[in-house]
Amino acid sequence: MAERGAVLRNQAEALAAPLPPLLVEAERVAATVVQGTHGRRRTGPGENFWQFRRYQPGDAATAIDWRQSAKSDPLYVRETEWAAAQSVWLWVDPSPSMRWRSRSDLPEKYGRGALLALALATLLTRGGERVGLLDQAMAPAPGRAALLRLALALEAAKPEAALPELGLPRHSHVVLFSDFLSPLESLDGMLRHLAGGGVHGHLLQLLDPAEETLPYQGRLRFAGLEGEGELLVPGVESLRGAYAERLASHRAGLAAIARALGWSFATHRTDAPARTTLISLHALLSGG
Amino acid sequence: MWSLGSLSFAAPWALIAVALLPMLWWLLRVVPPAPRRQTFPAIRLLFGLQTAQRTAARTPLWLVVLRLLLAILVIGAVAHPLLDAVPSGAGGPLLLVIDDGWAAAKQWPARRAVLDGLLGRAERAGQPVILLPTAPPPDGTAVAASALLPAGEAKAVAQAIEPQPWPTDRAAATRALDHLPILAHPQIVWVTDGLDDPPAKSLASRLQRLGPLSILRPSAFATAKLLLPPRADAADLTPRVRRAVSGSAETVAVRAADAAGRTLARDVLAMPAGVAEAELRLPMPAELRNRVARLEIEGEGTAGAVALLDGRWKRRPVGLVDDGGGSASPLLDDLYYSDRALAPMAEIRRGRVTDLLQRELSLIVVPDQGGLPDADRQALWSWIDKGGVVVRLAGPKLAHNPDDLLPVRLRGGGRTFGGAMSWTQPMALAPLPDHGPFAGLAVPPDLRVQAQVLAEPTIDLNDRTWARLEDGTPLVTAQHHGKGWLVLVHTTAWPGWSNLGLSGLFPEMLHRLLDLSQGIDGGIADRPLPPADLLNGLGRLVPPSGVAEAIPAGAQSVTPGPRHPPGYYGDDSGRRAVNLAPAIPTLAPLVPPLGAAESELGARPAERDLQPPLLAAALFLLLADMGAVLLLRGLAARRAGIAVLTIAALIGLPARGQAADQQVLQAILQTRLAYVITGDGQVDETSRAGLAGLSRVVERRTTAALGEPMGVDVEHDPLMVFPLLYWPVTGRQGALAPEARAKVNDFMRHGGMILFDTEDRGEGGPEKLRELVEGLDIPPLAVVTEDHVLTHSFYLLRDLPGRYEGAPVYVQDGGDPANDNVSPVVIGGNDWAAAWAVDRRGNPLFAAVPGGEQQREMAYRFGVNLVMYALTGSYKADQVHLPAILERLKR
Repeated sequence: MAERGAVLRNQAEALAAPLPPLLVEAERVAATVVQGTHGRRRTGPGENFWQFRRYQPGDAATAIDWRQSAKSDPLYVRETEWAAAQSVWLWVDPSPSMRWRSRSDLPEKYGRGALLALALATLLTRGGERVGLLDQAMAPAPGRAALLRLALALEAAKPEAALPELGLPRHSHVVLFSDFLSPLESLDGMLRHLAGGGVHGHLLQLLDPAEETLPYQGRLRFAGLEGEGELLVPGVESLRGAYAERLASHRAGLAAIARALGWSFATHRTDAPARTTLISLHALLSGG
Repeated sequence: MWSLGSLSFAAPWALIAVALLPMLWWLLRVVPPAPRRQTFPAIRLLFGLQTAQRTAARTPLWLVVLRLLLAILVIGAVAHPLLDAVPSGAGGPLLLVIDDGWAAAKQWPARRAVLDGLLGRAERAGQPVILLPTAPPPDGTAVAASALLPAGEAKAVAQAIEPQPWPTDRAAATRALDHLPILAHPQIVWVTDGLDDPPAKSLASRLQRLGPLSILRPSAFATAKLLLPPRADAADLTPRVRRAVSGSAETVAVRAADAAGRTLARDVLAMPAGVAEAELRLPMPAELRNRVARLEIEGEGTAGAVALLDGRWKRRPVGLVDDGGGSASPLLDDLYYSDRALAPMAEIRRGRVTDLLQRELSLIVVPDQGGLPDADRQALWSWIDKGGVVVRLAGPKLAHNPDDLLPVRLRGGGRTFGGAMSWTQPMALAPLPDHGPFAGLAVPPDLRVQAQVLAEPTIDLNDRTWARLEDGTPLVTAQHHGKGWLVLVHTTAWPGWSNLGLSGLFPEMLHRLLDLSQGIDGGIADRPLPPADLLNGLGRLVPPSGVAEAIPAGAQSVTPGPRHPPGYYGDDSGRRAVNLAPAIPTLAPLVPPLGAAESELGARPAERDLQPPLLAAALFLLLADMGAVLLLRGLAARRAGIAVLTIAALIGLPARGQAADQQVLQAILQTRLAYVITGDGQVDETSRAGLAGLSRVVERRTTAALGEPMGVDVEHDPLMVFPLLYWPVTGRQGALAPEARAKVNDFMRHGGMILFDTEDRGEGGPEKLRELVEGLDIPPLAVVTEDHVLTHSFYLLRDLPGRYEGAPVYVQDGGDPANDNVSPVVIGGNDWAAAWAVDRRGNPLFAAVPGGEQQREMAYRFGVNLVMYALTGSYKADQVHLPAILERLKR
C-alpha cells in the first residue's frame, strides 16, 4: 500500500511539476466565460453591501446603519449579500465506455468531461466556492490549491464503473459528467440514493457524435466496452432510425429521472465546443 | 496428353475439378468473410433492434470472382498445361540421331535444350528411346546406337553426350543402323550440325527407310565456321576463316591469345555475301607475334574455330659466330649490324661455332672471317645438311683468305668502286629478282656498294644469285645443300664496303632468310610425340584423357579423331600443334533429303511449361485475397496502405538526377582516379580495369587510399573533383565540343592532370592526338628526362614503360610557378592502362612486351609515381638536390 502511494505521489509530482495541462486548458476555457454571473443575489452573511431595510423589532442594535438612519426618520438596517460558500461535488465517470472516441480527431468522452469539470471548478473557485471530487472523497476546498489537486486526481482516475455511494451534506451541489448509457433503472436507483440527502444535482450527458448518429455502414460486429457482449448487425445503416428513437427515449427517461429529483439535465457532444456547455452549467449552479 | 490448339495438358483429369466451380461459387456466396469488428459504448441501445434488411449476408461479388479465379488457376496448374507441346509419335519408339562432332559445339546449349524437350515428351508419352551419336566416341570404340531405353534412362545417357573435337562419322552411323532391332512406327529425329559430307545423304535415306524423318538443323548464321591456321612462313599471321553458308554478309572477330589466354590482338573480318573463305591479316610487332599461341573465332566455341600455333610459327633462335676477334668499336663490326637487324624477330645467341651448334638454331650468321677452322667448317656443313641456314658476310678477311664454305668460288682479292685509282662510282643494287627469297623487296635508292668480293663465273652462277648490283655482278649468292642453305653476302654489313647494313633492306633480307629456315621444330618429328594438352569439343585445352595416342615419328600429317584429338603433342623440348581445321576438306551446308520434315533449332518456340507461371499467379491471388479479407475486417486499412507504399518504393525507379548527384558525391567523398569514357566499350573497360589495378597497387604501397575508379563523360560530368584523368586516345573520338574544351582547359589550369595515352607506342603519329586536343591549352612540351619529378616522386625510375616500352613521354617544358611547376598533361603512347589492368582476381589481363612481368612492375611504379605527382605536386622535386644536400651535411 505504501508502495502504491509512493507511485501515485510520484505520478502526481510528475504531473504537478508544470501546471497540469488539463488545468491550463480548463482555465483557458473558463477565462472565456464573462465574470459577474455568480454571487448569491440574496441577503445573508457576507461582506458586500446588499441593501438597506427598515429596522424591525428583534434586529440587533448593532445592525443599525447609523449614517443612513441619521439622514431620515426611520431606522435602517444594513444588509450584506449572502456570501456563504457553497460546496460543489464533481464526478466524471471514469468507466471504460467513457474512454472512447469514434475518430482520432475527437477527444475521448472522459477527456472532455474532465475538461468541463475542471473548467467549472476554476470558475467556482473564482466565485469563492469550494470544489471537491465525489469519488476521490476529496473534501471540497476553496482556492487554487484545490484546483491543482483536482486536476491531478482527474488525470490519475482509474476506470471504475460505479457511482460512489457517499452520504453528502445537505444542500450541497453535485455535478455528474457521464454518458449515462447504463440501464435507466440502475441509474434511477443510484441517483435517488444520492439525492436522498437533499442534494441538488446536475446531470451532463456526454456523447460521442458516433453514438448519436450511428454513422456505420454494412455488416459489423459491435462489441461493448464494459462486458456487455457482442452483437452482429448485418446492415447497420438500416438501424439508424430505430437507434435514434432508442437514444431519444433513453434521454427522455434520464430527463424524467432528473426532473423527479429536481435535478437539471443537459447533453453535450464531444465535437461541440466546451464553452457553451460550461456557461450554461455555471449559470445553473449560480442560479441554484 | 490432351490438347486444345497449341495448348495441351499433361494431366487433363485434373480439369474435371472445373465441374465443381459452380458449387464453389454458391459456397463462397453464402459463407461471407468475417465482419468488421467495431467497439461501441452505446451497444446496449442496439440490443434487440431488428434490421429491416432480411437478406442473408453475402460475400461481395468481386471477392467471389477473385477466389473463383484462384481456384481456376490452381486447377489449371494441376492439369499441367504446356504451350506448343510437340505431340509425340504414334506410340512407336523415338530414334534420336545426334550429330556430336566439332560443329555441334556451337549452340550446344540449344541442342541440349532440344534433346531435353524431345526426351521429356518421350517420357511423358512412355516412348522408348534409341540414341545414336554420330561422332566416334572418345573411348575409341566404334559409332554405335544405344539399346532401346526407357526415356528416363535415355535422358541420363543424353546428358552425358558432349560435342567431340573431331568430325562426325556418318558412314559408321549408317552402318550402326543396320544393327538396330526392328522398330514399329518409329519417330525419327536427326539433330544435325548442319554440315554436309558425302555419307550424309546415305544416312538420311537410310533413316527415311526406317520411318518419317524430321531434321533439326541450326540456322544459316549459326552453322559452325572453321579457322584455318596461318601459313607458318608468312610475315604476318594470316588466319583464314571458312564458312559453310555464304549467302549473306557477315563479320567475324578473330582473336590472337598467348599461352595464358591473354588477348594479344583482335580484329574483325568482314565477309561479304557470296564469299565462303577469307583471309585476315593480323599485323603485330614480331615480339607479340612470337607469343601468339592460339587464334580463335570469337563466339564460336568449337574445336574447329581454334588454331593452335607451335614452334613453326614462333621465334627462331639465331646464332652469331663471335670468336672475340671482332672490331673494338661496335660500329665497325658486322655482328653489331646483324644483331640490330635480327633482334626484333629472333632470339640471338653469340658464341663460337661449336658452342652455338650445341643447341638448336634456325640461322647462323658468320661475319667476315677468312679461313674458318676445319672443325668449324665440317660442323657447319653437316648442320646445313640437316636443314640449317648459314649466312656469311664478306669483307677484307674473306677476300684475302677464302675457304671452301662458300656457295660460289671467289676470285682472289676484292673489287673496289670509286676509289682514288678508279673511274667507277659506288654502285646501286639492281631490282631484286623474282625467283629468290628476296622477291618483292624494294631497293632503297640511296644504297651504295663500294666494294665486294667477286664470284668466279660458273655455269650455275645465275641460278645461285639472289641479288645483284646494277652491272650484274652477284651481291648475294646461295647454294642449296642437303636440306639447308648456305648464303653469302658479297659485301660487309658494317659501312666499310657498303651502306647495306645501314639500310632498311638488310633486316628485311635477314628476315626473309630466317623464313627460309625451318625453325627449331621441323614439324615432322623424329620421335613419337605424346599428347600434352588437347582441345575438347568446346575449343578449350584440357589434359589428355581417353585413348589419345602419341603421334608416331615421322608422321607427315595427322587426321584428328579419338586417337589423335587436336591439341598439342610433344614435351618441353618441342611441341607440335595438331589442328582440326586443315583436316576438314570441305564445308558445305547440309541439303535435307526430300520428304524430311525440316525445322531450325531455334525457330520453333520450344515447348513452354505453363505450370510455374500459373502457380505464381495463384500465389499472387492468394496474397491479394488475404489483403482483401483483412481490408474487409477493417484490421489493416492503414497497414495495408503502408505495405502498398513499401512495395511501391521497392519497385520505384531511382531518379536519374539523383544518380548523377550521387556520382558527384561519391567522387568528392573519396579521392579516386578517373578515366575518360571514349565510347569504345573495350577501351573503356581496359581503362577501368587498369585504373582499378593501379588504385589497388597505390593503396597497398603508399598511404594514399583511392576509391574505385570512375568513368567520366568530359562533356557532362564535373571534372574538378578528380586529381588525375586517364584519357585513352583512340583516334575515333573526334574533336571536343567547345564547352567540353573550356571545361578541360579549366581543369588543367586549376591543378588537374591529364594522362593522354595514344596506346600505340608512339607509332600512330601525332595526328589523332592533335585532332583530339585541338583547342586545348596544351603547354609547350618536352620529353621526360631523368631529372624530372615524375621519375622520382615515389620510385626512382629510368624509363616509363606501360604495356609497351620505348615511346617517349612528354610533359610541360619548364613549369608554371602558378601551378607549383606541375605539368597539367602527361602524354605518351605506352598503353599504361593495359599494363595496369587486372581482372577481379587480380590477374593481369594483357601481356606486357617485351619485358614481361618485370616491365609490368615498372609500369605500376610509373603509375604510383604519377599518382604521387598528381597528389603531391613537385614536393619531391627536392630529391633532385638530395646528393648536394647530403654532401653539405657531411661537411
